[in-house]
Amino acid sequence: MSESAAAPLLLELDGICRDYGSFRALSNISLRLPPGRIGLLGPNGAGKSSLLKILLGLLPPSAGTGKLLGRDIASARAELRRLIGYMPEADGLIPGLPGVEYVALSGELYGMSYLEARRRAHEVLSHLGLEEARYRPLEQYSLGMKQRLKLAAALVHDPPVLLLDEPTSGLDPAGRDSMLDLLANLGRDLGKSLILCTHLLGDVQRVCETVLILHRGRLLRQGSVAELCASRQDRYCLQIQGDPSAFREELLLEGVQIVQENERGWWRVAVPAGWSNRAFFALASNHGVTLTALMRDDETLEDLFHRVLQEADQSSRLDSERSHGIPR
Amino acid sequence: MASRADILRSSGPLLHYRTWQGVFAGSRLSGTIAFVVVQTLLLVVLFALSAPDLHDSTLAGWCRLLLGAVFLGLWALVVYSRAWPIARLSLLLLLRRRLFWAVYALGLVSFLLFFFGQYLMSWAVTQLGEQSVRVGGFGRANPAELVRVFRDVLKLNGSAETFRSFFQLEVYGVMIVLALAGSILIGNDLRFGSLSFYLSRPISSWDYLLGKGLAVAAFINLMTTIPALILFVQYGLLESWDYFLTSGHLMVGIIGYGLSLTVVLTTLLLATAVWVQRTVPLIMVWTSLFIFCPLLSRALVDALRLDPRWRLIDLWNDLYLVGSRLLQVDLSRTQPDWQEAALVLTGVCVLCLSYLILRIRAVEIVK
Repeated sequence: MSESAAAPLLLELDGICRDYGSFRALSNISLRLPPGRIGLLGPNGAGKSSLLKILLGLLPPSAGTGKLLGRDIASARAELRRLIGYMPEADGLIPGLPGVEYVALSGELYGMSYLEARRRAHEVLSHLGLEEARYRPLEQYSLGMKQRLKLAAALVHDPPVLLLDEPTSGLDPAGRDSMLDLLANLGRDLGKSLILCTHLLGDVQRVCETVLILHRGRLLRQGSVAELCASRQDRYCLQIQGDPSAFREELLLEGVQIVQENERGWWRVAVPAGWSNRAFFALASNHGVTLTALMRDDETLEDLFHRVLQEADQSSRLDSERSHGIPR
Repeated sequence: MASRADILRSSGPLLHYRTWQGVFAGSRLSGTIAFVVVQTLLLVVLFALSAPDLHDSTLAGWCRLLLGAVFLGLWALVVYSRAWPIARLSLLLLLRRRLFWAVYALGLVSFLLFFFGQYLMSWAVTQLGEQSVRVGGFGRANPAELVRVFRDVLKLNGSAETFRSFFQLEVYGVMIVLALAGSILIGNDLRFGSLSFYLSRPISSWDYLLGKGLAVAAFINLMTTIPALILFVQYGLLESWDYFLTSGHLMVGIIGYGLSLTVVLTTLLLATAVWVQRTVPLIMVWTSLFIFCPLLSRALVDALRLDPRWRLIDLWNDLYLVGSRLLQVDLSRTQPDWQEAALVLTGVCVLCLSYLILRIRAVEIVK
């Protein structure tokens, strides 16, 4: 039996809903994800926080069932919190406490003995580069150090899953790089599963293998970052040499849209359904133009995110118009 | 390419810990059992000391039994909850403040008065044959008169009244210390968002409240019950060993008075600290409760001649009534019944706890 078949899934959600009174914050979320580095993306009010609360066992779902590492999210809530290292976005620090005591307290709250928690706190702080600052009161820590300290408090009991809420929030570029390297290292080299909740798309692209896009409580997209970015099949980049005017007219007649072009001969085009790449070469040859480059125009995560949100908004607007009987 | 399992096996120092297995994992079970056994033995000794009172069928006897059960139950709760690390750290946070030590020293002045007063009285008793004796650098005094003042006015005779007077004096210091402690221990958690740190760990809001409550309770007992027990032991050592055998009920009464102070003041402090959060407003609220309410109750009952039950709005007086009953000291006729006072205190505790639970549930854990 292969390892992937034997290992439990990280996350199995089936029809999860969460209502706050009459407002539905999460609507029918169903997914199955293997252990790995997962990015949770969505604008404000998308339902990310509600999903995090449900995964942490702090909030029961209004409907649906789910499991995290094989544990039921509705019944094994305290156990779930033991399996998860949670790094909150808010400071959550205790003024007057030295770093090492803060991390050791976290360990004790996870159930370690006092001595074990202290030893472990020293190890984790050394690993995260806070060895020198561990006896300093928390008020004297810089923002980057505070973020690393919160990560240390989440890591102290060696959880298989880390839940990170905006881990690079407020960091300068160097601090952000360092934090992202650390997270990528935890996932890649130490085998931790990460659920990274952020609005910084670059963070997800650098650290995560899988991305979930939430919008208005609905799961819009789910899949590997590479696959989702390559999911748009109709875009190409061309570089041409020669007079392009006749070639351009011919492309337009064939239904090809020219999305963008620059003075160095690079064109970004959208092709109609059923288009074959050979047609580019045939048309170019017919109009005395040389194609020096032809490649798929994959989206960046940011493009994908905005497009998906735009499509969802358009679709919901159309649904709303149809339900109110407004003619287009 | 290495599989995930290979990575897990060969990874560095971060992965050599097992996930937490539960409170009974490893050697913790034996420690827990030992702790409960020691606590039980302590209680048995405590009741053996107050044996004469166990044979009577009065309500007071049953109250003491109930008190013992609460004492044991509280410790069992400590052992089985995750409150202990929170309590320990909260205590440390407060002990690191110089201001706290200054206020604590001030609060112990009445203890020192009682402590050295007892020595002075014991010495005066040995000088009863003399007409006058020299008292330090303060001049001369009649030893018989000294003994009369100590015994009848200050009540330094090791009786129940001694300890009642001590508690009455000590609670003013307690009030100041608690006003300071409340904002540091609980108010700061709400102001700086530390509550989300605690509640995102596998502990319940009860564990959190119990941890903070234990820290507050430790300070209350450091200023009241423990000094009172020291005075009890001191008096026995100065008087005779028989004192310990005949006055065992006093020890139980002291613990009972301390426990009622602890429970009421702790819940009240937690609730007010969660409500106002900052030190100065907390001191103002606390002062209103324990200075304005007594003044008002006195004005209503003594000046306006209203029903003595109006004294129940004074929480200090309610605690005094319950404490007097536990120490088996008679009360004046212008006081309401101790049962009514106990009822008011219970109501205050229930209200405070309900408010605390509502507030802590309402905290946004994940922003």
